[in-house]
Amino acid sequence: MKEAFIKSNFWIGLLAFSVAFPIFIVGSSWLLPGSELWSHFAQTLLPELITSTLILLIGVGIGVSVLGTVLAYLVVMVDFPGRKWLEWALFLPFGIPAYVLAFVYLGVFDYSGYAQVWLREYLGIPGFDIRSGHWAIILTFILVFYPYVYMMARASFKRQKVQMIEAGKMLGAKPIRVFWKISVPLARPAIAAGLLVTLMETLADFGVVSLFNYSTFTTAIYSAWGDFRSIEVAAQLASLLVLVSFFLIYFERKARGKAKYYSSDVSHLKAYNAKGIAGWTIFFFVFSVFMLSFAMPLLQILIWTSEVFSVEWSKRYINYFSSSGILTFLATVLTVAVATILALPSRRKSNSKTLQILIRFSTLGYALPGSVMAVGLLYGVQNISLISIHFGGSSINHILFGSVALLLFAYVSRFLAIAFNSSSASSEQIKPVYEHSARLLGASRWRLIKEVYFPMMLPGILAGGLLVAVDVMKELPATYLLRPFGWDTLAIRVFELSSEGLYERAAIPALMMVIFGAVIMLLFNKLDQEKF
Amino acid sequence: MLSVSNLKISFEDNHVLDGFNLDLDSGDIFALLGDSGSGKSSALRFIAGLEKAQLGSVALDGNDLSSDGSHSVKPELREIGMVFQDYSLFPHMTVFDNISFGINHLSKKEKIIEVEKLLELISLEGIEKKYPHQLSGGEQQRVSLARSLATAPKLLLLDEPFSSLDKSHRDQLVKEVRVILKKAGVTSILVTHDEAEANTFADKIGKIEKKQLLIS
Amino acid sequence: MNKKLSIALSLMVSTLALGSITQIQAATDDVTVYSSRKEHLIQPLFEQFTKQTGIEVNYLTGSGGDLIERLKLEGENTPADMFMTVDAGDLWYAGTQDIFQPVATEVIKSNIPSYLRDPNGLWTGLSVRARTIVYSTERVKESDLSTYGDLASSKWNKKLCLRTSKKIYTKSLVASIIHNKGVDAASEIIDGWVNNLAAVPNAKDSHVMDAILAGQCDVGIVNTYYFGRLIEKNPEAPLKLFWANQDTSGVHVNVSGAGITKNASNPAGATQLLEWLSSAEAQAIYGSLNKEYPANQNIDSDDVVSSWGEFKQDRMNLSIAGELQADAVKLMQRLGYK
Repeated sequence: MKEAFIKSNFWIGLLAFSVAFPIFIVGSSWLLPGSELWSHFAQTLLPELITSTLILLIGVGIGVSVLGTVLAYLVVMVDFPGRKWLEWALFLPFGIPAYVLAFVYLGVFDYSGYAQVWLREYLGIPGFDIRSGHWAIILTFILVFYPYVYMMARASFKRQKVQMIEAGKMLGAKPIRVFWKISVPLARPAIAAGLLVTLMETLADFGVVSLFNYSTFTTAIYSAWGDFRSIEVAAQLASLLVLVSFFLIYFERKARGKAKYYSSDVSHLKAYNAKGIAGWTIFFFVFSVFMLSFAMPLLQILIWTSEVFSVEWSKRYINYFSSSGILTFLATVLTVAVATILALPSRRKSNSKTLQILIRFSTLGYALPGSVMAVGLLYGVQNISLISIHFGGSSINHILFGSVALLLFAYVSRFLAIAFNSSSASSEQIKPVYEHSARLLGASRWRLIKEVYFPMMLPGILAGGLLVAVDVMKELPATYLLRPFGWDTLAIRVFELSSEGLYERAAIPALMMVIFGAVIMLLFNKLDQEKF
Repeated sequence: MLSVSNLKISFEDNHVLDGFNLDLDSGDIFALLGDSGSGKSSALRFIAGLEKAQLGSVALDGNDLSSDGSHSVKPELREIGMVFQDYSLFPHMTVFDNISFGINHLSKKEKIIEVEKLLELISLEGIEKKYPHQLSGGEQQRVSLARSLATAPKLLLLDEPFSSLDKSHRDQLVKEVRVILKKAGVTSILVTHDEAEANTFADKIGKIEKKQLLIS
Repeated sequence: MNKKLSIALSLMVSTLALGSITQIQAATDDVTVYSSRKEHLIQPLFEQFTKQTGIEVNYLTGSGGDLIERLKLEGENTPADMFMTVDAGDLWYAGTQDIFQPVATEVIKSNIPSYLRDPNGLWTGLSVRARTIVYSTERVKESDLSTYGDLASSKWNKKLCLRTSKKIYTKSLVASIIHNKGVDAASEIIDGWVNNLAAVPNAKDSHVMDAILAGQCDVGIVNTYYFGRLIEKNPEAPLKLFWANQDTSGVHVNVSGAGITKNASNPAGATQLLEWLSSAEAQAIYGSLNKEYPANQNIDSDDVVSSWGEFKQDRMNLSIAGELQADAVKLMQRLGYK
């Protein structure tokens, strides 16, 4: 029995190590000689961008936690007009890539945008540059990323409803009191998990920050590489990002550490009924978040699409769509499978410290900017080739470069964190007593996993799969560098057109991505309702 | 029939059991009393093969299951059943699937007959299609008992199964379970800290004092 | 469950196989191009080439820096016969990385002037992108404008909009200023620009022009083809181009261009493609697709483009812009040009 454990630990370790491979390659850049670029950056970029990165993280962190939590609470615990469809509609912004939202916002709210033109002409308010300062980009990120917290908090609130019946108390209490005294403390681990994903995404973002011309850590990474063509310094800077994420994960773990096990029962408590003005106020608030984060950008995309559809549409879009579809499907299945294996509850006890750290490492790819991850991967393959040549073999570069396999590997490495966080959150709710019961009833290890763990983890696995699918669909830098010939995706098409300033034409692939995202969400929603 | 000898358990240098011995005859219903932290639950988990000990051996029906504090037979092969303190029914399965979980090797028809029989035994006929969260606490514990009995274990361990129930329902259930166990004729050990409960339930009572078991 | 799993698995396997087949196909008589020029700007050209010669062109777009890395790492086994990019800095850098082979056929030499080609024949410019001043006709008199450097003078305080220093066109422009005027004068100019900014530098040239139209600022510096697109959509826009530095060094131009890779498996086909791209016919498409100036000086520009008038180009060899780019970036970062 012990041998079997060691053996399975070995394979799990190997799996985690492979996924973490690009991280190790990026980290190994510190073995290379230092560069005078560091002192240049220390004198010029670094002081400003460390402050601005911190301000951005704090602002986005607070904003996303508050907005996501409040929306989730309202939607689960309060009955207000339009709640049913808004609960679902609030997921939709997931399908729009962050940089698409950013260019729509700039088009509407910047000095030359409709909104400011209107304010100047009709109200005489002087124009202002929304890209200077911090608040506009912080608001943009909040509107882009709140669904992460919303999604996790919503699931947690749904579980809580049952617990409150069991506890039998607070039933007569005011909603606000329940919110502060019970709901938020209980949902803290879920909120923290959503927050973690948001902060890692914000750290690794390049699209939004470059549209706002805002300096974050990625500015220095791209400068090292794009301006000075120094992959070493880019990788060294990127590995600092990984380090920051490691600390973020540590704090998140601590926040989660105190959480109790929850049952995953279905909810039966009736929501608070908000009638009249209160109900409509809540509706107006939730609806305006939906408008800003989805309906308005979608409307802009639709207007642009209608302007250029006849010029831009061609059969090639079917190809872009199917590339996106196939890659998304395969990457999601793989990522979710790896995440499930790493997150199985029995891992908790039998894991050695080393293995736990290795698993943590395998989820850090999320904080790496996609292009650094992709180049890291190319160099990793190159090193394997060099070793192979050293031992009389041949280079494998040309086999792996531009193969679907390498691209899928990059996706798994980059997005494992999301799937893993989600599946392990649900695996942590599985009390040890289920394992004990199943084993004493004679179940084999395989049956325990298949019939007890897997179905109980399924909500988390599905939620993780949804997030991964949407992220893979939107992924740009790694796909751009690693894709095979003829595998252009919708995200690539959006980028190529919008980077030339052709927003109207970029609207067509962007619209297809929104539809694609909505279909994924619909699918998820169906599974969600069927099963739980 | 069951023989536990020289059991020694400690938590971080703090010995809770040392020289614990227990012998039971077939069909015995035994109650193990002790304060919290006295190691009574740990003893039960050791017998089940779920936790290790410093020292100690277990033999059931003449087969050695554990010796020197470690286990030679895995929990799933020991033919020991267990009812837990907190609700341990699989929440995603119906009552039928829960009860038949341990008798997976039977055909569907045989399972139906078996589950019907067990539900009759615990006086909860007709709830096959319900999910655990639709049952009361007492009902859940009775289903849990039926699930353990389904595999016809040689020994049944009950780890404070009544402690999370209301006082009013508890006394009734304690009596009922005793009747069920007697009917099934299964050798059982109940762990509890409630002396009255032990008296109502068991044929024999033992108490942990000074790290050892005193049979009264 | 198992059925679904096996479907997923077989789909996965077949996709992987498909991926490697596309890879193999790329190694036949076709010409394979890595390009940082965007798909919508190259695809019509390649289509035309295939129609005329029967040679298929496979292409993979990407960012310039990424593709150079990929070429380096693929080494001898690269599927690429040609690398095409949109900036002299990238062309120059690719030249230093030993991924090109020299090509200088008579056809190319006669089609493209020498300052738009690498001195060693490693790459050939295929279109000229002029970067010059754009101004509001409502608030600025043409006579107030003269040079890039003049935009640093205090009369433009809070009236200037610029594109971000991260964009390669800005880097090349500043590199040319360093080359023409020396580091000290260049840093005074950059410093003056930064002080005159009316807004955080914009991400795109189109945003610079939007800002001028909205009254946020009065002057800016853009590539002419962005202006061309805006005027095409909005002919009444009160916006005009001004040819900078006509009495001095001339308007800064950048190129998009291409070179044949050192390890090309089909160098003959690639050379044929390069020659064709420099021909009058291809150059006409090249220019009209994106309102750029043809590199082949024997043909006229697109109508819209020629309506902006003749101008004097800066004839600095573009390799120099490449070499000085890192210095330009350091200068801008030091002076806080974001």
